[in-house]
Amino acid sequence: MIYLDNAATARPNGEAVKAALHFLEKDFYNPSAMYKEGFQIHREVESARKNILAKVADIAAFDFIFTSCGSESDNQVIFSCARRGNFVTTLGEHAAIFNSAADLKRRGVEVRFAKLKNDGSVDEENLLCLVDANTTLVSVIHVNNETGAINDIASIAKKVKTKNPSTVFHSDGVQAFGKIPFRMSAAIDFYSVSAHKIGGIRGIAGLVRSKKKNLFPLIYGGGQEGGLRGGTENVFAIKQFEYAAEQKFLNLEKDLKKVSSLNEIVRAGLDKNLFRILSSEQASPYILSISAPGLRGETLMHMINDQGVLVGTGSACSSRNRYSRVILACGVEERYAEGVLRISFSAENTEKEVTDAVKIINECAAKLSESLK
Amino acid sequence: MEKIIIIRYCEIHLKGKNRGYFEKVFMINLERALAGIRHEIRRPSGRYVVENFDESRTEEIVSKLSKVFGVHTLSIGLKVKTDLDVIYNTVKQIAPQTGTFKVETNRADKTFPLNSMELNAEIGGRLLADYPALKVDVHNPQKVLYIDLRENGSTLIFSDMIKGAGGMPVGTAGKGTLLLSGGIDSPVAGYMIAKRGMQIEGLHFHSYPYTNMQAREKVEELARILAGYTGGMTLHIVSVTHIQEQIHKNCPAEMMVTLLRRFMMRIAEKISENTGSQCIITGESLGQVASQTIEGMTSSNAVIQNLPVLRPLVGFDKTEIIEIARKIGTFETSVLPYEDCCTVFLPKHPVIKPDLKKVEEAESKLDVEALILEALSGEEIVKL
Repeated sequence: MIYLDNAATARPNGEAVKAALHFLEKDFYNPSAMYKEGFQIHREVESARKNILAKVADIAAFDFIFTSCGSESDNQVIFSCARRGNFVTTLGEHAAIFNSAADLKRRGVEVRFAKLKNDGSVDEENLLCLVDANTTLVSVIHVNNETGAINDIASIAKKVKTKNPSTVFHSDGVQAFGKIPFRMSAAIDFYSVSAHKIGGIRGIAGLVRSKKKNLFPLIYGGGQEGGLRGGTENVFAIKQFEYAAEQKFLNLEKDLKKVSSLNEIVRAGLDKNLFRILSSEQASPYILSISAPGLRGETLMHMINDQGVLVGTGSACSSRNRYSRVILACGVEERYAEGVLRISFSAENTEKEVTDAVKIINECAAKLSESLK
Repeated sequence: MEKIIIIRYCEIHLKGKNRGYFEKVFMINLERALAGIRHEIRRPSGRYVVENFDESRTEEIVSKLSKVFGVHTLSIGLKVKTDLDVIYNTVKQIAPQTGTFKVETNRADKTFPLNSMELNAEIGGRLLADYPALKVDVHNPQKVLYIDLRENGSTLIFSDMIKGAGGMPVGTAGKGTLLLSGGIDSPVAGYMIAKRGMQIEGLHFHSYPYTNMQAREKVEELARILAGYTGGMTLHIVSVTHIQEQIHKNCPAEMMVTLLRRFMMRIAEKISENTGSQCIITGESLGQVASQTIEGMTSSNAVIQNLPVLRPLVGFDKTEIIEIARKIGTFETSVLPYEDCCTVFLPKHPVIKPDLKKVEEAESKLDVEALILEALSGEEIVKL
């Protein structure tokens, strides 16, 4: 089996699981408990918080809230910071932002979507035009989950703040965290991250918060996470996240280089008569979107799957969303948007795996194309 | 005081000499519906009574029983000692305090000092004294309070009737193969035939890799909902991908659906032979889509050798079908947006009134027998 759907979820780091397991089996105490055993666990949670945060931010200026998933982090910022005026975002957002925006509309908040350029990144000029004195929140995805397009969020945030200093700036960094070199800058107020894309387990994620910015809880409870996220902490998941992040950031540059070379093998090896590459050269090398015009991405994915290669599709083969909205927003014609496959890498993939996968992908596309003639 | 559920059945009493057989099958179906839940079903004359069950699951039990074909009505009642004061106090608990009512007694226990008319009068009188806003109306009461004095010294007291599924016990009217597509119509067709007592085997065709696993899961879910009425179901799953590819390659595009349906019918008949099904059931409704014209049905019927094809929805409007689908709980699943029959091969302009000769001519380009054998060799069977 060749796993090339790492942007959906990545294999959990086994060493990190082993190292954290005693928090599940032996040191299971509630970190809010006042006895020594509980307090000790509380300290473990706090050290994880600081260690993870320090990878991307100055811990004096920012803090970190543990949440259950990237979607929760996104939702918390949106429903906390965009309660009035208008909310500016992009057409290239993850569903956690896109669908929350739809709910904001129902709540009477105006939502404005900035266009994308052909390479999948946001049209900055268009975005800045949408920001005005009434803009309460701007959210721009860091690395798009379908195309891998990278937005220069530090620069965008700065320009947004120049136009309206009181606007809050958020970015969904789920596909960037631990993969693309990045540090929080002063103009970025919130940043969503998730554990399971970088070797953590599912069910744990986080939100980086500027200490200057207010936030409200989505989940009210017993005052955990500084009162910003109720619910007893999943200490095992938090510690496993910390250990996995430690490994990931240690190898970030090395992994990036390796994944770039894997990405290059696929770009060079795909049959040019059957495929068009949708991801731009500047996109994150972890994600490669390709399209086989005239073929359905999902049918092709099934055939590739039967040959032991696991890749993602742009969207499910359903009559309601036949095409990915993000791919269409990049200006891709419908006939290209239908046959989208998303190949996403991890540093664990080998050159041989990727070479074999390209061969299988080419063969399946040729076979399907022949059947449909 | 113990909770009981009274089950009344419908047409079974019409079946003269076969009555014993019908009642036996009905009992098996009731038992199967409650499998996994603590209960006992007894059969005093003319009705079935569920006793000694897990009272915290009363609603679930009633819901399961109300889906068993043959159940006319159900009542949740109370079982008490046959004693006038106990009976009155229990009736009082379920009686209304205003409006109109009547008491109706059935006295199997002939040793009870009051006869049924006297007991009606006694209980009714006490109620009127306790609740002055109540009135008796023996012709058209808002509430009927039933008292059932049984021979074993216990009395059943109940009031409201819950409507059951009606029909005949499944298994008393043979077996049929239902073509189950995943749309709105076919589960309704299966429901209607099962209601008349027929045991159903489902048959689903898929076109993987052109259709997805979610579409298949959806059909399994539909079969599971139907199985709630039919007491389990076997689902046969057959791939028609290669057949579609061959039609696409060798035959006129507008004939795709017409030819595919003929293959489906042939496969359905073969599977029926293997499983002992005596008919094929489809959800076709006249004129609903291009393939459901009388010419289309003629074309697909022409390949069936021996079995009748039942089309219980042939004269129904879509809105009428949807109404039943909602009632039986299949609608929400049917409208999940997974494609059931691969639309990749669907022509823009399918032939609406296929001419049998032309259809057969187009089909002659295919090795029909070999394609059917190949499809059947990959048959999967799921027991639900």
